[in-house]
Amino acid sequence: QQKTLTGTVSDKDLRVPISGVTVKSSRQTVVTGQDGKFSISTAVNETITLSYIGMKPVSIVVGAENEISVSMEYDAGNLNQVVVTGYSTQKKADLTGAVSVIKTEQIKDVPLGNPIKALQGRIPGVYITTDGSPGGGATVRIRGIGTLGNNNPLYVIDGIPTERGLNEINQADIESMQVLKDASSASIYGSRAANGVIIVTTKKGKLGTTKIDFNSSISTQSYVTKVSVLNAEERGRAYWQAAVNDGPGNDPNINPIYKYNWNGDFNNPILNNIIYPEFIDAAKTMRPADTRWFDEISQTSFIKSNDLTISNGSEKGSSLFSVSHYDNSGIIRGSSLKRTTIRSNSDYKMFNDRLVIGENLSGTYSVGTSVPAGSIVDLSLLAQPIVPVHTIDGGWGGPAAGMTDRHNPVRLIEDNMQNKSRFFRVFGNAYASLKIIPELTLRSSIGIDYSGNYDRTLRKSYVSGFLVDPSNQVTTSQSYSGNWVLQNTLDFRKTIGSHDLQVQVGSEQIKFTAQNFYGSRQGYALENIDYAYLDAGSTLKDNGGSGSGNSLLSFFGKANYSFKNRYLASFTMRRDGSSKFGSENRYAYFPAFSLGWRLSEEEFIKDLIPALSDFKLRYGWGKNGNQSIANNAIYDLYSAIYGTDNTFNRDKGSAYDINGGNSGQLPSGFTKTQRGNSALKWETTVQSNFGVDFGFFNQKLSGSVDYFIKNTTDILLTPPSLAVIGEGGDPTVNGASMNNKGLEFMINYDGKIGDDFNFSLSANLSTYRNKITELPENSLTAFPGNGNDKVILGRSVGSYYGYVADGLFQNQAEVDAHATQNGKGIGRIRYKDVNGDGVVNGSDRDYIGISDPDFTYGLNVTANYKKFDVSFLLQGVKGVMVNNGSKIYTDFSSIWPGTNWGSRTLDAWTPQNTGSSIPALTLVNRNDESRFSTYFLEPGSYLRLRNAQIGYDISSLANKIHIKRARFYLQGSNLLTIKNKKYTGPDPEAPGSTFPIPAIYTLGLNITL
Amino acid sequence: QKALDETPQGVISGAELNTPENIDKMVIAAYSGLGNDDIHTSFSLWPWGSMRSGDAYKGGDSPGDNTDWHSYELFSANRPELGNTDKMWYFLYVGISRANDALRRINQIDESTYPLKKERQAEVRFIRGHFYFMLKILYKYMPYIDENLPEKEYATVSNRTLTNDELWNKIGDDFNFGVANLPVSQDQVGRVTKQAAMAYLAKVRLYQAYVQDEQNNVTSVSSVRLEEVISLVDQVSASGRYELNPDYANNFLTQFDNNKESVFAVQFSKDDGTPKGRLNMGVALNYPMNKEFGCCGFHLPSQNLVNSFKTDNTGLPQFTTFNNSDAKEGDDFKNNTFDPRLDHTVAIPGHPYKYSLNFVYQKSWARAPQIYGYFSTLKETVAPDDPSFQKIPPFMSSSKNFDVLRYDDLILWKAEALIKLNRHNEALPLINSIRQRAINSTSKLKLADGTFFSNYKMDVYKPGTNCNWTPEFAWQALVWERRLEFAMEGNRFFDLVRWGIASEYLNKYFKEESSKRTYLKEAQFKKNRDEYLPIPLAQLNYSRDVYKQNFGW
Repeated sequence: QQKTLTGTVSDKDLRVPISGVTVKSSRQTVVTGQDGKFSISTAVNETITLSYIGMKPVSIVVGAENEISVSMEYDAGNLNQVVVTGYSTQKKADLTGAVSVIKTEQIKDVPLGNPIKALQGRIPGVYITTDGSPGGGATVRIRGIGTLGNNNPLYVIDGIPTERGLNEINQADIESMQVLKDASSASIYGSRAANGVIIVTTKKGKLGTTKIDFNSSISTQSYVTKVSVLNAEERGRAYWQAAVNDGPGNDPNINPIYKYNWNGDFNNPILNNIIYPEFIDAAKTMRPADTRWFDEISQTSFIKSNDLTISNGSEKGSSLFSVSHYDNSGIIRGSSLKRTTIRSNSDYKMFNDRLVIGENLSGTYSVGTSVPAGSIVDLSLLAQPIVPVHTIDGGWGGPAAGMTDRHNPVRLIEDNMQNKSRFFRVFGNAYASLKIIPELTLRSSIGIDYSGNYDRTLRKSYVSGFLVDPSNQVTTSQSYSGNWVLQNTLDFRKTIGSHDLQVQVGSEQIKFTAQNFYGSRQGYALENIDYAYLDAGSTLKDNGGSGSGNSLLSFFGKANYSFKNRYLASFTMRRDGSSKFGSENRYAYFPAFSLGWRLSEEEFIKDLIPALSDFKLRYGWGKNGNQSIANNAIYDLYSAIYGTDNTFNRDKGSAYDINGGNSGQLPSGFTKTQRGNSALKWETTVQSNFGVDFGFFNQKLSGSVDYFIKNTTDILLTPPSLAVIGEGGDPTVNGASMNNKGLEFMINYDGKIGDDFNFSLSANLSTYRNKITELPENSLTAFPGNGNDKVILGRSVGSYYGYVADGLFQNQAEVDAHATQNGKGIGRIRYKDVNGDGVVNGSDRDYIGISDPDFTYGLNVTANYKKFDVSFLLQGVKGVMVNNGSKIYTDFSSIWPGTNWGSRTLDAWTPQNTGSSIPALTLVNRNDESRFSTYFLEPGSYLRLRNAQIGYDISSLANKIHIKRARFYLQGSNLLTIKNKKYTGPDPEAPGSTFPIPAIYTLGLNITL
Repeated sequence: QKALDETPQGVISGAELNTPENIDKMVIAAYSGLGNDDIHTSFSLWPWGSMRSGDAYKGGDSPGDNTDWHSYELFSANRPELGNTDKMWYFLYVGISRANDALRRINQIDESTYPLKKERQAEVRFIRGHFYFMLKILYKYMPYIDENLPEKEYATVSNRTLTNDELWNKIGDDFNFGVANLPVSQDQVGRVTKQAAMAYLAKVRLYQAYVQDEQNNVTSVSSVRLEEVISLVDQVSASGRYELNPDYANNFLTQFDNNKESVFAVQFSKDDGTPKGRLNMGVALNYPMNKEFGCCGFHLPSQNLVNSFKTDNTGLPQFTTFNNSDAKEGDDFKNNTFDPRLDHTVAIPGHPYKYSLNFVYQKSWARAPQIYGYFSTLKETVAPDDPSFQKIPPFMSSSKNFDVLRYDDLILWKAEALIKLNRHNEALPLINSIRQRAINSTSKLKLADGTFFSNYKMDVYKPGTNCNWTPEFAWQALVWERRLEFAMEGNRFFDLVRWGIASEYLNKYFKEESSKRTYLKEAQFKKNRDEYLPIPLAQLNYSRDVYKQNFGW
C-alpha cells in the first residue's frame, strides 16, 4: 500500500534537527531539509533506512502513521565510517592495515597555520616536531626514522600525491584525514610511500543542503621561553671573576670595555666597583647600555584567522566554495605570514548518476617577511648587553672592541622587514567517473600541483659597530616547480551472498619539473623597497638559474575480499618506474597483502563476551620504495661553472685571471659536478604489521594495538668517498640497511552521564627502536663514531658520540689523581678516561646517548555539558636525550669570550660554591670544554598542555536572527610545560636555533547559516 | 620506457669536452684550482706553516673559534679526525684531479689539431706538481695518482705505494717536464714558465736533499740534491728576468702584482663576473676588527716573532738574547732597534696600518687581546682604500696575487745549499743582498714628521767587523734570514721540519711564550710525530686501510 510518509530527524543528544540525512525507500531516496524534515514515497511494512555520516544508521518499518519523528545518535565506534585508503574507499570495520583516522572536529579550531601541527600527540606512531614560525614549520616522522635521506611522508590530497606538506591547506576545508602507517595499506602508493602516507580529503557540498559556514578567530601569542642572560653589570662582573680565576698574569683590566677597581689580590679578590667607559667604541658613538636583547627582538603578536565556506548539494551534483585568510605576526618582530586560500570543489551527476564529472581546485597565495628568525634568536643570546641598540646619532649599535663579530639582531630585523617572499600554489584535479555496469566503475583524473616563489630582497648597507658594509644589493628571484598527475582506475565491486569482492586496476603517471632564476645588482641610490627593482641598480649585475625534472610511471592492482564480514583479505601489487634510475633498474615491484579476522562477528565470541562489539586481528606485509635522490644521479656530468659564492665555501668555478688583469671577464672551463652510478636502483622498505582492534559496549570503549617491524634495505645515500677522486667525487649508492621496530597503543572511551553530559577520553602511546643493520665501510665516518672500532652499526642512527663528563675537579688532589688530561684543573670538567689508558684523548669518546625518545604519548579529553564544550590535549615525550648546544654560551665564559653569557655563569663553581655543576669561569678554554660531551646532553622529556578549549553554543539565541548554529570558544595552546629539572634550556621541544614556540590564546566564533 | 627518459638539464657530458677549444678551457679550469681554497684551507698554508712555527698565534675570538686550528697550534691536541685536516687533503686532490682530467684530454688529442699540446701538458703538470708538493710537506705520504691511472683503480693506490724519496721524484718529474717544454716567457702572465719550473724543481730538490727516516728524523743531507738546487737557481738567475724589488714592500702591494721578483704567483681578481670575485679567500679571516674591516682577527704575530726583529747595536739580529725582553707597545719600538721588515710584517698599536699614514692601527682593533695580545698581520692584507680590496660580508679579502715562488726565496735556497756544502763564503753576498734590500726598504715606513714607525738599525754581515763568518754562524744567519724575510708567509714550519729542528725549537718557544700567553701552557710538540699532519682518519677509513697512518699517530 503506497503512501507518502513525512518525518523529522533530530539529534538524540542535542535535540536539534539534522539536515542532510539520506532517507531511502525502495522507490525513492531523499534527504532531510534544513528543518530536518523529509517526505518520501513508501509503502506499509517496507523498511526505510536513514543514514548520515558519523551517526548510527536507523531502519524503520513503515506502519500506519503518516508522520514520524526519528532521533539519530552519534556512532561512537565509527565502524561504518568510510575510510579513504588509496585510490578507493573502505569501511573502517573492514580495514586490515594500520590506519589511523583523525577526528577532524577536534582540530578544526587550532590556529597553528598548518593542519599537520594540530595532529601532534593525537596519533600513535606519528611523531611531529614543530617550531613557532608563522608559516607553521613541522617535521613529520611516521614510525621512526626509516631511511637516511628524506624521511617525509607522502601526502595524498583528494587522490593527488604530493611531497609538499599541508601548510597551504585551509584547515576548514578538510573533511577527513587518515594516516596509513604500514606497508600493506600504503604500498598501493608504491614509490614514496615508505615513510607512510597522510591522506586528506576535502569537503564537498552535502546532498540536499545549502550551507554557509563562517569561522573567525583572533589569537595573541607570546614568547615564554626566553633564555636567561646576563645584564651589562653582571656581564662585567662575570668577566672579572673569570680573569681573577685565571690567576696572576691575567689582568682583568686587559679588557677593551670594562675597567675594574679591585684589590688586585688574586688569592682573595674583592671587586670594589666596575668602571664603565663614556663610550664603548673609539668613534664615541655608543654609550654603555643595558640592552635586553630578547625583549628588543620579540613582541606579543596576533594571529587572525577567518574562513567562509558556502556549499550546496543536490541530486544533480554538489558544489563548495571556500575562502580563508590567515594572518600571523610572529613573536619575533618582523616575522609574519599572510595567506589566502580559495577552494572550489564541485561535481555534476549525469545519466542517472552513471557519470560523475567533478573537480577539486585550490589556490594559495601567501606573503611572508624574510626575517632570519632562527639566527635572530641566537644573536640575542650572543649580543652583549652593554651594546646599545642605537648609537647616539640614531645609527645602529653593534659589536665594539673585544666582542665577537656578530650582528645586532634588531638591525637584522629592521633591515629585512621590507623583504617579502611571495608564494603561490595551485593544487587540484579534474575527474570523470563512469559506472559502466553497476559493479564496474572507470575513473580518470588529471591533477596538477604547481607552486612557486617570487622574492625581491633589498640588502641594505650598514654601519653597526665594527661591522660595516657600504654596499647594498637587490636580488629578485623566481622559481616554480610542480607536476601533473594522470590517473586511471577501473573498479569492480560485487557482493555475492557472503562474499564481498572489490578489485581495482589502475595506472598513474607523474611528471615533475622545476626551474628557477635570480638576478641581482648593487649600487642603489635609495634603500627603499619601492625603489629596489633591478633596473634601479647600477653595478655588479649578476644572475643565475637552473632546472631539473623527473618522471614516474606506475601500474597497480588491488583486491579486497571479505567473507561473511569476518574474514578479510587484501592484496596489492604496484609496479613503479622512475626516471632517476638507469634503464635496467627503472622498474620495481611493490607487493603487499593483509589479512583480518573479525572475531567479534563469530557467534561463539558473541555468546562468550556479549559486551564485545568489535574484535579484529590484523596482519599485513608489504614492500615500499624510495627514490628520493638527485634527478641526475646516474650520470657523469660537467657544468660550465664560472664561479660560485666563495664567502664560506670553496669556489667551485673554473675561471682564472690568466692575463693578470685583476678584473673583467675571465677565461673559464668546466667543472666535474657528478660521478654517476648507472647501477642505482630503488631503495625498498619491507614492513610487517601485527594489529588488534577492539571495542566493547557498542564501541563505547575501543582501541587498537599495533606492532611493526620495518626493514629498509638498499638505502640510497651519498657517502663521502676517497678524496683522490676529486670534485664531484661522491656518487650516490645503494648502501645501508636499517631496522625499526615499534609498538603503538590507542584507546578511546566515549561516556555519558545523565542526558546532558557527554565525554570522550582518548589516549595513545607509541615507541620505536631504530638500528642501522648494514653500512658500507666507506660511509662509516659519515655517522657518529670513530669509523674504526666504534661504529654506528647495530645502533640507532640518532646516537650521540662524545666524551663522558664526570663532574668537576674539586681540589688539587683530584686533579693529580686523574689521568693525563690537557688543561685539567680545579673547577674544570673531568672527562672520563673510558679506555683506561691513563690519557684522556679522542679514543675516550663513546656512545653517550640516543636522540630517539623512549616513548611519546598523548591524552585527549573532550566533554560537553548542555551548551558547553570543553577539551584539552596533553602531549608528551619521554626519555629523549637532547643536545643542548646553547650551553656553550649559557654556561661558559671561555668558549666564546666575545659574546654575552647565560645567567647560569653567575652560579659557576668557585672554591666557595663547590656544589655547582657549572665549571669555574675562565677566559681561556684550556680544557677544551666545548668538546661534545655528556655535559651538553640533557633529558628532553616534557609533558605539555598542548591545547585547551572551552566553547559555548549560542545557537538558540542565534536562531532568532536566522543563524542555524553559533558557538564561541576560548582556546589556549602550549599553556603549560612540565620538563625535566635537568634540562637547563628554556624549551626541550625546540633546543636548537629554531623559531621559539609561543603560548597562544585564541578567541573564536563558528557560525553556520 | 620513453616516458621515463629525462635529459639532464643545464649540464654537459665529459665526451663533449675533447675538442681543442674545450681542452684549452680545461687547462684554464686546472689553473683555476690554484685559487680555489676557502677561509679554512688556505693554499698560502699559513694555518700550518706560519701558525705552527712560533711566528704566529691562531687569533680570532678565542681558542674555540675555529678550534681545529687551535688544536694545530698546540700540537698536543691535534687528532687524525680533525675536519680541516681532511678538508685540506680533499681540496688539494681537487686541484690534482682537475689537472689529471685536463691531461687525459690533452694526451689523446693530436698535435696537428692542438699545436700547443706539449706546452699545455707542461703547464698542467706544473700545477699538479704544485698540489702534490703541498700534500708532501703537510702529510709526508700521499697516494700518487697521475692521468694514466683509470679512475676505477684509484682506490688501490696506497699512500705507501711510493717511498718518501720516490714521491719527491714524482713531483720533480712534473717540474722537469716543465723545464724541458715550457717557454721562457708567456704572453699571458698567469701561465707558468720554464724558469718557474726550474725554481719549483729547485725547491723540491732542496726539501729532498734533507733525507728523512720513517720517524721523520733528518738522517743525512744529499750534496747531489744541493748541487742541483744551486744549478737550478743559477739557471733562473741567468735568464735575467728576475731581480729583487727595490722596496721589500712591493712584494705585499697589489699594484706590484707580477713584478720582477715574482716567479710563480696565484692570480686573483675581482669585478670579474663571479659572484663575489676570485679573491684570496685563504687569508680572508686575517683582517683586524675595526669599522673598515671588522673580521676576524686571525693569524696574529707572536711576541716571540716581534722580538726577533730586534737588532743589536751593530744592526744584526740578536740570535740568543732577542727574547729576553718584550717589545710590546709605544716606546718599546723607540727604545729598541729593529729590522725594518718588522713594520712590513706586523701591525703594531700606534703604527700606521699597511703604510697608510692616516690609518693608524689601534689597540681596539684587536679581537681578544686578553688571550692573543694586540699585534696583527700585514703582509697578506691590503688597506681598505686599495683598489684590490673587496668586502664579502662578513669577510673581506683582495685580488692581490699570492706569490708561491719569489726570487728572494730562491736566493736564500741557494745560500742554504751553499752553506750545507761548506761553501758558506759564497752564501755571504746572497744573504747580504737580501739584508741590503731590507735596509733600503724604509721609504714607506716614514711618518709625516720624517720619523719612522720604529727605530730601525740594520746592517749587512761584515765578517771581521760585526761578525765572524764561520760555517756555524753562517747557518744561524741563514736560519734567521729566512725567518725574518718570510715571516707570516706560511713557510716557517716546513723550514723547521726540513732542517730537523722543529721539536727542540718549538718546545722551547712554547715554554717561553706560555708565560705570556697562558693558552699555550698545554702546547707540546711531540717529536717523531708532529713533523707531519696525520693522514685524515676519514681517508684511512674510505681507503679500507689501503692507506697507512703516519708514524707516531
